Amino acid sequence: MQEAKILSAKFAIKNSNKLTVAKKNGAYQTLDKLFSSKQGEVIEVVKNSGLRGRGGAGFPTGMKWSFLPKGLDKPVYLAVNADESEPGTFKDRYILALDPHLLIEGIIIACYAINSHDAYIYIRGEYTTQRIVLQEAIDEAYKAGLLGKKVGKQNYRIDITIHRGGGAYICGEETALLESIEGKKGQPRSKPPFPAVEGLYACPTIINNVQSIASLPWIIQNGAMAYKRYGIESATGTHLFGISGHVEKPGVYELPFGLPLLDVINEMAGGVWKGRKLKGVIPGGSSCPILTPEEAATATLDYASMAEHKTMFGSGGIVVLDETVSMPELTLNLIQFYHHESCGQCTPCREGLGWMEKILKKILGGDAETKDLNLVRELCDNIEGKTVCVLAAACTMPVRALLDKYRDEFEALLKPEPASATTEAPAEQE
Amino acid sequence: MSDRSKLIATGKPFKFDKKYDTEFERLVKRYPSRESMILPALWLVQEQEGWVCEEAIGYVADRIGTFASKVYEVATFYTMMNLHPVGKYHICVCRTLSCWLRGKQEIVNYFRDELNLTPGKTTEDKKFSLEEVECLGHCGSAPVLQINGEFYENMDVDKVKKLLATFK
Amino acid sequence: MTEMIKLFVNGEEVEVESGKNLIDALEKVGIEIPHFCYHPALGADGNCRMCLVGIEEGRPPVVPACKTPAKEGMKVLLDADHIKKIQHDVMELEFINHPTDCPICDQAGECKLQDYYMKYEGTESRMRVPQVKKRKVQDFGGGVIHDQERCVACGRCVRFLRQITKTGELGLVNRGDDCRVEFFPGRPINNRYGLNVVDLCPVGALTSADFRFKQRAWFLKRAESICHGCSKGCNIMVDHNKEKYEDDIIYRIRPRHNEQVNGWFMCDAGRMTYKSENDNRLEECTLAGTVRPLTDILADAQSRIEKASKALFLVSPSASLEQLVAVQALAEKTGAAVSAFSDGYIVKDDGDDFLIKDDKAANRTGVDLLSIAKSRTHFDNMAKEADVFINFDNDLSRSLSEEQIGKLFKDTWVLNAATHPGHLGTAMAGKAGASVALRSWSEYHGVVVNCDGIAQKFVGGVMKNIERPDIVEIAAGLGSPATGAAAAWALVQKKIPALAEFGSFLELPAEGVNLTDNEAGK
Repeated sequence: MQEAKILSAKFAIKNSNKLTVAKKNGAYQTLDKLFSSKQGEVIEVVKNSGLRGRGGAGFPTGMKWSFLPKGLDKPVYLAVNADESEPGTFKDRYILALDPHLLIEGIIIACYAINSHDAYIYIRGEYTTQRIVLQEAIDEAYKAGLLGKKVGKQNYRIDITIHRGGGAYICGEETALLESIEGKKGQPRSKPPFPAVEGLYACPTIINNVQSIASLPWIIQNGAMAYKRYGIESATGTHLFGISGHVEKPGVYELPFGLPLLDVINEMAGGVWKGRKLKGVIPGGSSCPILTPEEAATATLDYASMAEHKTMFGSGGIVVLDETVSMPELTLNLIQFYHHESCGQCTPCREGLGWMEKILKKILGGDAETKDLNLVRELCDNIEGKTVCVLAAACTMPVRALLDKYRDEFEALLKPEPASATTEAPAEQE
Repeated sequence: MSDRSKLIATGKPFKFDKKYDTEFERLVKRYPSRESMILPALWLVQEQEGWVCEEAIGYVADRIGTFASKVYEVATFYTMMNLHPVGKYHICVCRTLSCWLRGKQEIVNYFRDELNLTPGKTTEDKKFSLEEVECLGHCGSAPVLQINGEFYENMDVDKVKKLLATFK
Repeated sequence: MTEMIKLFVNGEEVEVESGKNLIDALEKVGIEIPHFCYHPALGADGNCRMCLVGIEEGRPPVVPACKTPAKEGMKVLLDADHIKKIQHDVMELEFINHPTDCPICDQAGECKLQDYYMKYEGTESRMRVPQVKKRKVQDFGGGVIHDQERCVACGRCVRFLRQITKTGELGLVNRGDDCRVEFFPGRPINNRYGLNVVDLCPVGALTSADFRFKQRAWFLKRAESICHGCSKGCNIMVDHNKEKYEDDIIYRIRPRHNEQVNGWFMCDAGRMTYKSENDNRLEECTLAGTVRPLTDILADAQSRIEKASKALFLVSPSASLEQLVAVQALAEKTGAAVSAFSDGYIVKDDGDDFLIKDDKAANRTGVDLLSIAKSRTHFDNMAKEADVFINFDNDLSRSLSEEQIGKLFKDTWVLNAATHPGHLGTAMAGKAGASVALRSWSEYHGVVVNCDGIAQKFVGGVMKNIERPDIVEIAAGLGSPATGAAAAWALVQKKIPALAEFGSFLELPAEGVNLTDNEAGK
């Protein structure tokens, strides 16, 4: 198994965040080709490449662009989602810190394709050093005439502004991200209207993930067909897989789609650490339902296989759990995360996640009964699908899977049932 | 999250100093709406003071020309805004998933046992404050700490000990 | 004309107005879709999730009704099991952190949580873990008290203050189940419409400091009235109750929806006008300083009018059309002069571009429609000539100083019929030849015309222990051809032909009659 070098080509090169080094290694070579193409042609290439959004939802990028209404007398905005906050996900950080010019070049391509002149990069507040590196790269690009009034001496203006988040996972949700840029709390909007029609400042807006944008220069340079040679038909190209948890060599690996999950864990990440046994794999970030070792054995790293296994490809952040992990404690860790990050806007998520957390604590405290375990399981169904955005579902989906696949571990923590429950039943009274 | 609505007043009026005033004016031009400056302005406050006091929230609202309630909402919503003074070294320990799997709790216990420092608290000498935060996006090098913005990866108790010794 | 469309609710065809969301469209035909956060004046927010409805063959199949426009042929499901389950589950979640302190909550009896619990939830609590604790009894300013634990975070109050008054005092701070409504320290609610948030709050989270713990909502009787605080004529509900052995007391005034007048709202000052209806009222009828039956006073006054070389009747610009015509007819019959001089009712620059008007008179447009003179000159001239002066509840102290009033009526016999003392200044009080304690607007029925020319009926539901006459009765007692309320209304219809098509005043449409739209009204 060998790593691909589409996104990570410059990761190992020293000072690749500097413009001179980046340029020496191929940065900004697509600009002439880009500006000699028609905007529609660029969109076609991206559509044909099969590139799907790398943030987690996997929506085809070119198709997303084509939803922009035509002939509107309003500016079009590009919002780049660098809010990477899903537990188990740490791939975009590599691009931001090690090859920011790849991202900037991708932004130039995307802006030109969608006829936008203003891009905002929404970077999570915690990425402090990454933000500084990115800002330096942007400043360099401005100085070199790669950004600003005449990008690459063409009559095309592009301005990039970094907007810092402030510690809120929900801002990775695209409409919450827009709200946050507008100066509000990051609370998702109801859709419709979709951002492509009414997004940032009520103008048409495209929101793309960092890795999606960073994939563009290679696609423009080498063409859609070349990109499709990587991966499989339903999932073309490469992905930055982040492997973490109980493995020997955690890290980010660029691989084509479609490889067997366990092979990747074993061959790239050195397998389960300390010679221990595998207990489960969270395949694409914390919101993806867990796979048991048996399920993991048949799963491949692409959207379709993950869907067949009733989970999701997500962000491709693979978290490996060894045999020592307490599943009820893991469940609590996940619920605490989502409860902490619930924006507080809509009732089921606002009230429900805190309730679930407290019940889990009760179970772990040895103070719960079967009805409590059943209640937390039922709440997964009651909350999911009733909310404005999918944050609540991002919690209930993995929790449901944990409760169903490892139920005996939860049951072992329950209080013994009262000796004769029937004596309390009213029917028994005379 | 816990309740963050109780703001702390310093009793002194807040104002950006020259450096942050200039930065505010530079940034405000980059947005079509002044309200977009709420979060960036709060960041500037925090860079200048280390935390965000009640007076600063009022100042930001008036400077931008918006309701104080909106800035108040934003300040309490985004948990990176320190709404109380923090230590000279503000230590954030990632508590989520991969960091939890790889032993973040031992590090938190170390702070508790050795420095009498629990999450949300500051040491008496105001040198260290501790916070447990959600996923810091460094799962591949877990467990991770972030101290005054700098990341410290692949940590364990020994490394933490050595690291703290370097902080004067 | 509103275009009508047909859609299906639970399989049955209904015809609704187009251009509305499902909540409003179906409400008009009597079908309730439960909701907390949506309010027609504040728009759809979609945060409470209580209005989720099923759409057969819809994509997605479950949608928030507040954000879904009613469309032709739409198949809406409200009573399907999966929708009833959502309603139940959302209610359960609304309740888990609610204190359920209904016995001490002022909202009890008119609380959406209570109503919806009975209709959509109705099961025992499964909350077996500690609740989220929040702050109680916070003074939000503007007479608004907040209980954070009762709040359902619907954000209506926040949206009202941002969208309508544009003062933005409140915000929803924190996130998750710690989120709560707060004001920024030192900047509490401070605008002239703040108390509307109490009505907007669907639960007991925001209550009025003025009303708290005074009455249970279910004891209150309601009278549909018109605010007499200014010329806007906001539609109001007068909530009153007569407890055993006590007088009939008004406990609060709330706005009543009328899209073409006040929408859903009213100003705080108008809300507080109930206090002067309750308190400091004139109670007795006197003649030459001694308490006498009304009939004696009227007989005396009538003979004085007959003998007078000139009588002057002063009417109030807040009097109803019926009262105005009754006095006017009396004047026509007796050759007396009528004035509605009331310059002091106009408080310059007090009004705004929302509901508050400079003119604090409820029926100045009515005065004009009836061509009653109101200039200072006319009044002064008539007052100088008159040897008999009858004041019909005009608060002249607003327009003239005590000295001016005293001088004008130095040698005049004065009958002061009023609701409250002091209309002619304190100096005149002793000097008046006679005085009559009148009913006030919350105690009689009538019609007033607001500043925009909209004639609106109001009902006086308050029945005071002390029987007081209404101006129509006084005028009749003095010999007016308008011998009673029905006769007065018939006269109004004769003088304002646009009102002629309605039988009794009660037949006026709820939204009022816009007289400026109508040639006949001019």
